[in-house]
Amino acid sequence: MAEKTVEIKISGKTIQAQVGETLIHALWAAGMAESIKTGCDGGVCGACTVTLRYSDGRTGGTELACMKPVEAGMEIFPCPVEADTAVEPVANPELSTLQLAFPTLNRCTKCGSCTTACPMSIPVMDSVLRMQKGEFSVVAEDFTTCIHCGLCRFVCEDKVKPHNMGLWVRRSLGMSRNFAIAKTEAEQDWQYLLVEDRELRLRRARQFRQSGRIEP
Amino acid sequence: MMEWAKESLEKLEASRPARLDQPAPQPDSAQAEALLKQYHPDYLGHERTVEVGPNAGKQKFPLELAQLLEGDSPLEPDYLPKPKIETDVLILGGGGAGATAALTLEGSGLSVHLATKLRLGDSNTVMAEGGIQSALGDGDSPRRHFADALVGGHGENDPDLLRILCEQGPESIRWLSQLGCLFDQNEDGRFSLRGGGGTSVPRVLACRDYTGLEIMRVLKDAVRLTGTQILEEHVAMELVDDGKGRVTGAILFDRNAGNPVCVSARAVILATGGSGQLRLQGFPTSNHVGATGDGLVLAYRQGCRLIHLDSYQYHPSGACYPEALVGQLVTEAIRSLGAQVVNAEGVHFIDEMAYRDVLAGAIIKETAEGRGVKTPHGRTGIWLDTPMIDLKKGAGTLARQFPGLIHRFARYNIDPARKPILIYPTLHYQNGGIRVDSQCRTDVAGLWACGEVTGGLHGKNRLMGNSLLDITVFGRRSAESVLRNIPERGALTLTHLKRFQVEREKAERVKKDGSHITVSPKFFPDASGMKLKPVAVEQKQETGSSSSNFEPRNPFNF
Repeated sequence: MAEKTVEIKISGKTIQAQVGETLIHALWAAGMAESIKTGCDGGVCGACTVTLRYSDGRTGGTELACMKPVEAGMEIFPCPVEADTAVEPVANPELSTLQLAFPTLNRCTKCGSCTTACPMSIPVMDSVLRMQKGEFSVVAEDFTTCIHCGLCRFVCEDKVKPHNMGLWVRRSLGMSRNFAIAKTEAEQDWQYLLVEDRELRLRRARQFRQSGRIEP
Repeated sequence: MMEWAKESLEKLEASRPARLDQPAPQPDSAQAEALLKQYHPDYLGHERTVEVGPNAGKQKFPLELAQLLEGDSPLEPDYLPKPKIETDVLILGGGGAGATAALTLEGSGLSVHLATKLRLGDSNTVMAEGGIQSALGDGDSPRRHFADALVGGHGENDPDLLRILCEQGPESIRWLSQLGCLFDQNEDGRFSLRGGGGTSVPRVLACRDYTGLEIMRVLKDAVRLTGTQILEEHVAMELVDDGKGRVTGAILFDRNAGNPVCVSARAVILATGGSGQLRLQGFPTSNHVGATGDGLVLAYRQGCRLIHLDSYQYHPSGACYPEALVGQLVTEAIRSLGAQVVNAEGVHFIDEMAYRDVLAGAIIKETAEGRGVKTPHGRTGIWLDTPMIDLKKGAGTLARQFPGLIHRFARYNIDPARKPILIYPTLHYQNGGIRVDSQCRTDVAGLWACGEVTGGLHGKNRLMGNSLLDITVFGRRSAESVLRNIPERGALTLTHLKRFQVEREKAERVKKDGSHITVSPKFFPDASGMKLKPVAVEQKQETGSSSSNFEPRNPFNF
């Protein structure tokens, strides 16, 4: 199929892009790879944050350049977000410890910018409100897909740090889980499986995996 | 959607009711062997030996990698910079293995620097979806885990490394959990375990289809809370040595400042990851932008032997449509939950839980023999019948368990719960790498290695969930070994480059054919056009750099 070409703008400079490709690949093809940061090129590292606007009057916003397909007339600007200072999580977290760790928690004015900015469709503002009520297991679930691009923090006028708090809640809950490992004595199995001869070792492994034990 | 595939979609939907209850066609061992030999990219002869270095003439490498291994350093051998940073341990690589090593060194009293070409966490780890293996289920044991991985690796795995991996599985999950990783649990509070290709019992823990993201964001946060100095956008250009065969640091390139930074270190841990961005034989890749095999090249020049690098993993289910998602991973866990692989005729042609290499071979065969589905961009793939999951496990299961998949395809108005997705193998994992002993030591003193950059552990085919375990177990182990064996500070030279150059000058290929003269490592994918951009010395002096920081003019060989 013949590729259709459209014009897009990056920081005011016009480049040609092929319909169907992502912003990142359009920048690569135009020799402008380094005009924005790139990490995974797969939508999970959060490096390639950009702001964008459309020429047809639709509301623009923030995006991941590696996930966003080009459209005619689109204009993008790099929007790198620096990592924030990490805050030590604590086991068995409570609302008071979260407030202590993140003093801006209650500043949220419910403008909703964070939710709009999130490229992962997380209900960020709602989750901040849940944090204020200490509903931590729901918060942990909300932030399951958070890639820590930092856009929710970047757009917040009130210095609320939703993604940092989301991670803090998740880590704190994770650390609170109990975990015991059963120890088993199995030297005999290991001697059987680690036999020197490679062919025999493979044959024994084939047998062992069927039942999980040495068959007579 | 996907009007261009209407006819084939109708066949797929027509055969679905019958397929639901039919057992998957199992290839016998002769058929599996034939699929590998005739169709798997590893077996098609796109490889050669190299003429220089410790594996010269002995082992074959993919053509793209061989060229880099024989390549010339970007630095002149007489380039001798002053160290700008003195540290005890230098970790090269900011993915899961490097971050784990840094965490393990915390509290030891040693100073630690971690350098990464991109940012901390921008890695293959963060992209891993399906899960992490650990023998925690009923009827399971580290021995059974070992047996599964050994059979999957065609018996080529280093048995000592593999035993360590499997035995450390449960302890690694405990360690990650204590850091705050939330792996999915059942209602009874036990970990939810999935099957993977080649696991004889369910053994794969996950955090939905974002397992690597979950692990990496926790590791990243934890590392930021340590005393580790993080050098982001610092590219490892060359390892330096003391002139007597011991690695004593590295020369990095600071991408923002545009100049080299020499680091003196008592120990170097190489955790630079894989090489999918070499895009062997033109395959797309699921790897991150930095996966260009730099660590292999640096270690090889220092005299480290490489192992099993004729073996790469082509993940059977890479996205093949839409074009913007080509090569991106569609996790194996989707297959383990019941999505079948179906050809253009609506035929379920093989068990989707066959070993990854066999399944990749089978998919390539279907397309090569005309039973694939052609996309508007001229690619050919086969169907992964994702709507089957909700049919088998209840409505909403796919969306609940695989939010990443749904999210990515939603942009293109494709709902995998309603329509199948088109897949084709994607270059996913470097099975081989730097040879290490059970303490993660390479052939060269002062240099340790862990994670995807190493070889031997997975043999010639890695099982799902064993790489996230690999980076955890061996990331920790490399740091523990460094702690026990850390050498004193040594001199900084590029002696190995002189030795390597002498070898290159003797090499017939390099002598005869100028086209093979390449500067390596590659640092960035060809397609990206990214390069290291040195700032001219004159320009820097204008901006007030003092003369005591003077660096040799144009240290670059390009």
